[in-house]
Amino acid sequence: MANENVLIIGGGAAGIEAAKGISGLGFKAILVEKRDRLGGTPDEEKYAALTPDLRDTQEALGDLMAPIKDNPLVDIHYNTLVTGASGELGNFTIKALQLGKEIEFQVGAVIIATGFKHFDPGRETQKYSYYELDDVITLTDAEKMLSEHKFVRPSNGEEPKRLCFIQCVGSRDRRLGNEYCSKVCCGISSKQSIEIKKLLPDCKIYIFYIDMRMYGYWENEIYWPAQEKYKVNYIKGMATEIVKKGDKVLVKGEDTTLRRPMEVEMDMVILAVGMEPSEGTQQMAEIFGLNKNKYGFIETTGGCLDTVSTNVPGVYAVGATTGPADLEDSVSTGGLAAMKALSAIRSLAVTA
Amino acid sequence: MIHLPVLKASDRLFKIDPEEAPTHDLRDELFQLEKEGELEVIRVPEPYMEVKTKYGRIKKIPVEKTWHHKSCGQCGHIPGYSTSIFWLNRAFGLDYYDPTDQTSCTAWNYYASATSNPEAQAAVAIRNFAAAHEVGYFPLIHCGTSFGHYKEVRHALVHQPELRRKVRDIMKRLGKKLVVPEEVVHYSEWVLAMRDRIAERQVIDMSHITATVHPACHYHKLIEEDAVYDSEIYGAQRSAIVTATLQALGINVADYSTWFDCCGFGFRHILVSRDFSRSFSVQRKIEVMREEANPDITVTHDTGCVTTLDQSQVVGKAHKKKVGLPVMADSQVAALAMGAHPYKVLQLHWHNTDNKPFLRKLGIDVDKTWAEFQAECDLIKAGKKEFMTWEDAEK
Amino acid sequence: MPQALDIRQNKYSDVTQEEKDRLFQECKDDERWSHILYGCYECGICVAACPSARFYDFSPRLIAQAVAREDTDLIYTLMNDSVWDCSQCFSCDRCPRGNSPGQVITVMREVAVKNGLNTAKEALEGYGRIIYKIMSTGSQVSPDMLQPNAFPDWGHHVHDIAENLDVWRKALPPETLHTIETGWKVDEKTIIELYLIWHMTGVMDLILGIDEGLHMILVDVMEERLEEAGYDIEFD
Repeated sequence: MANENVLIIGGGAAGIEAAKGISGLGFKAILVEKRDRLGGTPDEEKYAALTPDLRDTQEALGDLMAPIKDNPLVDIHYNTLVTGASGELGNFTIKALQLGKEIEFQVGAVIIATGFKHFDPGRETQKYSYYELDDVITLTDAEKMLSEHKFVRPSNGEEPKRLCFIQCVGSRDRRLGNEYCSKVCCGISSKQSIEIKKLLPDCKIYIFYIDMRMYGYWENEIYWPAQEKYKVNYIKGMATEIVKKGDKVLVKGEDTTLRRPMEVEMDMVILAVGMEPSEGTQQMAEIFGLNKNKYGFIETTGGCLDTVSTNVPGVYAVGATTGPADLEDSVSTGGLAAMKALSAIRSLAVTA
Repeated sequence: MIHLPVLKASDRLFKIDPEEAPTHDLRDELFQLEKEGELEVIRVPEPYMEVKTKYGRIKKIPVEKTWHHKSCGQCGHIPGYSTSIFWLNRAFGLDYYDPTDQTSCTAWNYYASATSNPEAQAAVAIRNFAAAHEVGYFPLIHCGTSFGHYKEVRHALVHQPELRRKVRDIMKRLGKKLVVPEEVVHYSEWVLAMRDRIAERQVIDMSHITATVHPACHYHKLIEEDAVYDSEIYGAQRSAIVTATLQALGINVADYSTWFDCCGFGFRHILVSRDFSRSFSVQRKIEVMREEANPDITVTHDTGCVTTLDQSQVVGKAHKKKVGLPVMADSQVAALAMGAHPYKVLQLHWHNTDNKPFLRKLGIDVDKTWAEFQAECDLIKAGKKEFMTWEDAEK
Repeated sequence: MPQALDIRQNKYSDVTQEEKDRLFQECKDDERWSHILYGCYECGICVAACPSARFYDFSPRLIAQAVAREDTDLIYTLMNDSVWDCSQCFSCDRCPRGNSPGQVITVMREVAVKNGLNTAKEALEGYGRIIYKIMSTGSQVSPDMLQPNAFPDWGHHVHDIAENLDVWRKALPPETLHTIETGWKVDEKTIIELYLIWHMTGVMDLILGIDEGLHMILVDVMEERLEEAGYDIEFD
């Protein structure tokens, strides 16, 4: 007899949406989360507002998770790490550690929603000096400041008059082995530019990019407003070096449309760091015996027509476990995996 | 106090993890090729010292049994450079070998004129490696370009079977084997690895000295993963080479905003288009160092860099540029710290920019030491001695 | 800056398309090519890091773009008018696409030399004595090259060295450094081995492409010394 419970590993947007889907269809979802709260990376890294609609992160996450809180069909286990797995579709035994105590779950299918981590700019091929200069920060550092509605230079606490974003840090780079585009950084940089301009209307903002990638509605919802309403300067050409120059930072790059090397002084630089598989994602791939792609993300089997199934029947990968993903991707794949997991279990029941 | 949710750079800690290296360890591939009978690997002799490279891998640096692959530009135009390296070896009583069965790497010409090809370049490299191996010593490369070029050659030999076959055939006809060193080691890495031992024997205080460092392009830009990095120095965001050595000697190393720029050497430019070399060297390096760091000296670790940075200042001075910064190699500074003679050993008379104020700041009697060197020259001129010997230089 | 896409600015329109294609094919046939040129998304990182781009109308990005697009018109122009400005420092090796514009240039220069392009000859004017030195002695530079007429911009210092050269060389403690015509004392057998390498790798063909006179002198010197060493070798 197939077990009809579904285990979801990871309580970010994708995991929450999967739990909503399972419970909404009347089945039991067991959601395990390593932290003591839900919300995933947007919560953990204190995102200020979501991309592209600039909705307050906590408010939006609150709405997202409301249906699974106090829901008898959703068991949430906080502070829990999955450590082992055996069995097959319809009959998995999952071992986990909960605050040092071993526990076990019996489930019919598993949805992995363990997400990504941000690229560490210390590994960058370019010389961005993140570990040397206070005023060089990352997108996530910037989110933390924006969530406190205070945007200042870390070196002296003063408001920046000129700052720039540098795109593709840790992405689209053969030398680093991260050849993929991280998909969201162009949008997030543009979104942050708008937020900064709202706080500091006189601040001059530049975005150095290779290609601006904001698809569909991101174009009209963030790119154009950033350019037209907030006068953000988009410059096609990358920076390769950031050095100290007096109390400023000097950014060296090429303005490719002008075809000359440029050196510009900035008060602050924000590195648009890309995505890599999180440690949790890599561990889950090992534990469940899932195929990984060359970048360490979990490989799905059906190409663009099946974005969540893995090489192990009954185990699904969602959100940023399979590659760079935005929140739309995360909730879409979370919901899709809920449906696929239940239909796989149900089809066992029918054929049995 | 500013309270921000963001860490200051000094609190950000970069952990280098060899597991995250984006490349294969070339040495594993070398040993695999050796197993397959494709080539022979020259092992680093024991005892060796360990340094860390860009991705946190360990690089072995031999202490002794080193075969000194000399640099044509150093030996030809700034001979105190290599003399200081030998002097350091002698001061520590180490077994080293100064060969005559050695050619230049010929890479200066290759990068200048392209009148060569990959087979010829690789064959020249392997001929020299084989010469070292035949006498039982391990190559220590003096020139930054030779070092970078040999790293490229080693990389190409591992990844290009056709090149390997061609070079093996050439070596066979020379009666030699295709041998490749386990590590390509630059002398400045040896100086860096020896820095604590050098500092223990330091007799000249340098704690009041400020220096700028120019890392040689071909040292850290060609096969950058094989350059020395240290998480204590610039957060492992650039090579620790030279900087770590100078800091061990108590010197204050000051940063400047064009540290990554080349010296202006340009290979063909320094010989036939020197307007570029002069302008670049003065405007992008020396003047920036003077303006931002006002150092007593600039220290580098390559033939071309010492030459270009030093010689280019003559015209800079004529144009009233902010020049006048002495240029030395790390081997010279290290030898000086241990009490080497500024003219008999460092041979500073071959350098161009006035280095006397620097020597005086170290408490060295410039007139007396120059007179001592002159006395040796007078004996040679008078035919009373054929050469100045190591004993003369060390007394 | 050359604009080969615009036919009105094509400086080398008299050179046939076949010739331009042939030279580019020679570049592509180099064993290194597949590891030094992938594609180019025109980020400009190479230009930002490039010393020559700050002094010349020179762009490693343009070179990478041209070869990535296989625009043989533009490639021909660059092979003539641009590649010799490169400093070969390899700062551009940090290209995130994994290209090495500097090494692409090394290959393009080799092809330019081998095919005796006039611009290559011009770029190497005055350089022949150095080729002679390195090929015949195995030292790129030597103490006797420190002559005031060769380095007028290095100031009086070069006079001092030239005047004292003999004594100052003898006042060097390492026994190998008492030489004047080479950086250090080199064994006869070592030089012979070097000549054999030049012979076996066809390097002399490259010299022939650039300077026939120099080629003749070098061949004379090498054949004679090889003969003395018991080798009956003729350079083509």
